[in-house]
Amino acid sequence: MRMEKILSPDEQLRVKDLIVRFYTYEGIVKAVEKAKLNLRRGETLGIVGETGSGKSVTALTILALTPPPGKVEGGSILFRRLNGSIDDILKLSEEQLIRLRGKEISMIFQEPNAALDPLYTVGDQVAEAILSHRLPEMLDKAIESLREDVKNGNEGFSTRLQLWAYNEMKRNPDSFKLRLVKRLPIIGKVISKKLNQVVREEIVELLRLMEIPDPERVVDSYPHELSGGMQQRIVIAIALACSPLLLLADEPTTSLDVTVQAQILDLIRRLKERFGASIIYITHDMGVIAEISDRVAVMYAGNVVEVAPVIELFKRPLHPYTKALLEAIPRPGATFKSIPGTVPNLVNPPPGCRFHPRCPHAMPRCKEEVPELKRIGEEHYVACHLYGGENRGKHSGGN
Amino acid sequence: MSASMRTYVIRRLLLLIPVLIGVTLLIFTITQLFSPEERASLYIKDPRQAKDLSSIIKKYGLDLPVYIQYFRWMDQVLHGNLGWSESAHMPVLRAFINHFPATAELALYAAPLTIIVGILLGKLAAVKKDTAVDHITRIMAIVGWSLPSFWLGIMLLAIFYGGLGIFSPGRLSTWAENLVLSGKFKVYTGLYTIDAILNLNGAVLLDALSHLVLPVTTLVIINMALLMRIMRSSMLEQLNKTYVIAARARGLKWKTVIDKHATRNALISVVTISGLLTAGMLSGMVITETVFEFKGIGYWAAHAATQLDIPAVLGFALFAGMVFVIANLVVDILYAYIDPRIRLG
Amino acid sequence: MRETPLSIVGLAIVIFFTIVAIAAPVLAPPRPGRDPYMIPRYGYSPIPKPPSPEHPFGLTQGQYDLYYGVIWGTRAAYRIGVLIIAISALIGIVIGGVAGYYGGIIDEILMRVTDIIFAFPGLILAMALVVAFGPGLDSVTLAMVLVWWPGYARLIRGEFLRIKSEDFVEAAKAIGCSDLRVIVKHILPNAIYPLLIMASLDIGSVVLVVAALSFLGLGAPEGYADWGQLISLSRNWITGRPGDPFAYWYVYTIPGLFLFLFVMGWNLLGDALRDVMDPMIRRR
Repeated sequence: MRMEKILSPDEQLRVKDLIVRFYTYEGIVKAVEKAKLNLRRGETLGIVGETGSGKSVTALTILALTPPPGKVEGGSILFRRLNGSIDDILKLSEEQLIRLRGKEISMIFQEPNAALDPLYTVGDQVAEAILSHRLPEMLDKAIESLREDVKNGNEGFSTRLQLWAYNEMKRNPDSFKLRLVKRLPIIGKVISKKLNQVVREEIVELLRLMEIPDPERVVDSYPHELSGGMQQRIVIAIALACSPLLLLADEPTTSLDVTVQAQILDLIRRLKERFGASIIYITHDMGVIAEISDRVAVMYAGNVVEVAPVIELFKRPLHPYTKALLEAIPRPGATFKSIPGTVPNLVNPPPGCRFHPRCPHAMPRCKEEVPELKRIGEEHYVACHLYGGENRGKHSGGN
Repeated sequence: MSASMRTYVIRRLLLLIPVLIGVTLLIFTITQLFSPEERASLYIKDPRQAKDLSSIIKKYGLDLPVYIQYFRWMDQVLHGNLGWSESAHMPVLRAFINHFPATAELALYAAPLTIIVGILLGKLAAVKKDTAVDHITRIMAIVGWSLPSFWLGIMLLAIFYGGLGIFSPGRLSTWAENLVLSGKFKVYTGLYTIDAILNLNGAVLLDALSHLVLPVTTLVIINMALLMRIMRSSMLEQLNKTYVIAARARGLKWKTVIDKHATRNALISVVTISGLLTAGMLSGMVITETVFEFKGIGYWAAHAATQLDIPAVLGFALFAGMVFVIANLVVDILYAYIDPRIRLG
Repeated sequence: MRETPLSIVGLAIVIFFTIVAIAAPVLAPPRPGRDPYMIPRYGYSPIPKPPSPEHPFGLTQGQYDLYYGVIWGTRAAYRIGVLIIAISALIGIVIGGVAGYYGGIIDEILMRVTDIIFAFPGLILAMALVVAFGPGLDSVTLAMVLVWWPGYARLIRGEFLRIKSEDFVEAAKAIGCSDLRVIVKHILPNAIYPLLIMASLDIGSVVLVVAALSFLGLGAPEGYADWGQLISLSRNWITGRPGDPFAYWYVYTIPGLFLFLFVMGWNLLGDALRDVMDPMIRRR
């Protein structure tokens, strides 16, 4: 049977039957089990779930960066590329993936301090992103600037050397001559001068876009010299430096102060407008989900259990777990309701529906059969034996 | 240097002094294990003085209370009088200065090689974790760590010197030694390889190098084991960190991520152990020098020990302690310099 | 637990040596009335004799029986190694425990002392001490204990500091248990595991340094069943005879091999123990 490499025209990403397992000393952790997700162009899909739900693993796997000892054991991740073609990310070679990561799909992380290398300035790290994917553009800018210099009467040795080097880099980036010359002590530095200048300007602009005050100074700072909020803006800057089609946000505000959280959320929203990216936003915070998502996917113990537009999800939660999550949101005056039981051990997950030990509506069937994600309402999908089959939704019709 | 770095360095320098004093105290305590007559040898500059022990005891107050003795002794030490070495037939300090270049030469080659080999192998083992390469290097490390240095030296000598006739013990062959001792060869540093270069004498250079091969190999095999293990675990720690994933998520090549990011961070932890290793080498490789008859301070100290030459052994121990303490300081400062988190406060 | 082949090899080696040490009187019967640790000699010639049915490993310089030497050498290694570690650990527990439990100025002083001892490379300090005490295995034992106890003191102090603030200790104190009781019944049992790991990793190093001291002539006297001492006897014979460079291979290869394998076995075992007992490492 041929794998379908088809996305509907407005779909950006589709995760199909993804299976990820971790091979550890304690056993095989079945972290993600036949997860299904899809993302439309320009939308923000929120993924909500507790720790251990598999949401972070799924995000990393979209970039084919499943952390070891994890292994992808099945499924496909279809992505619409910049040039319009559709690729299964899991089938791409490392070379192809390098061109994808940071350019078409980017990621921002939970702990911005941990996501930055403490030994390099923040500017250096943003430059890495820019030089990896926008080098020809930067070279053009450098060449143009050099030509301006020539017009203004500056035709010294360094100018000519750089012009030669940049044109050579454009023509043949891996040329032996280039590599040799770059290694020479003083000459190497001279060659990079204009390019570094141009890139630096670009970075400063980018930081300004991130609403970072005093970007000229920040560019030369080390990560630990900046506050958490600033660091996260840098991480976002790095992610958006090459205008990706898809931004994966793995709990980017969880470790920040509440006020900073709001600022960053706001920033992300505005940047999405400006860059036109689709976002997958992962969090365990229902409040954030409500604020930022267009649609929401709920994950539990490695399964996607419910998917719906955000308002629909909050108004009419179907899956018992979703209901419990919503009830567990602390409200003034109401008693604190937590979900009984604990997250299951994923080495030996409960048979059938993984939620059934904690589910108030568990039926005998839940212990035996894993529920499939079924369409219940318009755009509303649930994986639960309480629905589907006899309980058909009011709406029907094609996607 | 930023202000915080300056204060860090000054603070460490100040902390150095009590530790150095502590080192002298320890050595002094050991001297107290001897009788006043035996201790007299620590103060004399000339064997003839030994004939008149009672006046020496009087002069340096060897029968006075401990704290007075300590200051008298320290006074002598700071003036360079560490006593008379019976086994070397010269004052301890001079014997020390005579023998030090050999140790320095050995350390000059062994330390960088050990560090480089250890770092490269450790990095390789971490990047290729759980593969054959990792297992092989792990075995190499365990073997290196467990090998008795004197046995390894002897085996190497048996094979190469006894069996193949190349590489002999000592620093130079007889002809080269005669040449060096004669006036025709100017000794600048005492390190024969460097002096040979300065004298533009290729033959002596080669001879000196060939005598360095086996002892350096012995030292590298044994010492790189620890370094390799530390580099490996340091790398593995870095490779699990978020910034590595973040760097890959930017679209950087795996090789770039390793070389540019993970390795640099991993090296920070390795600096400490490298410094200690070098300090260990500079304080004299007693066993290796003895086995290869490489006449450095370790050789001299071992020789002195068997002859119960107290001033020599104690002088050597004092020096070793000092070197270690200073090496620790240098390492700490280097560490602060490399890690911007400490350097820029 | 004992999954890795390396740790099995280590365990096998350690078991082998332990059996040899225990069975020494059977494997190489000592002569009645003599100190069993002195190797019997079969002549006075300095020239070694190759292995033969009566002397399976040959005779080394001075006509000492190598087979007897390495067998009883195993026992000697255990004897002195265990002794040194046991005493060091004991001193370390007391000093480290006091420092860790009471803290304050006692802790400061004791830690400065350990710092100073740590400032010296072990072999060099041991050398100086042995010269002070006079050569011989008793001096070596004493010197080694003085050099080694700080390591244990530091470890125990660290453990005490860590465990001291745990709830069950607070509880015991709240009930009114005396300090000593708290220490012995509550803190010590938990601090023991890292100590055991350190001890098993240490045996190899201790035996190596003792052998080195004997090799230098500061430890075991000539004729004593000590691997280091036997190796030092072999130094003159590494060039062999004219025409037969490896004629006396047994003299330097065999005692060295025993020493090397002993140390490696214990290092492998210690490594494995540490991997098992350290939960953080397990999450590889």
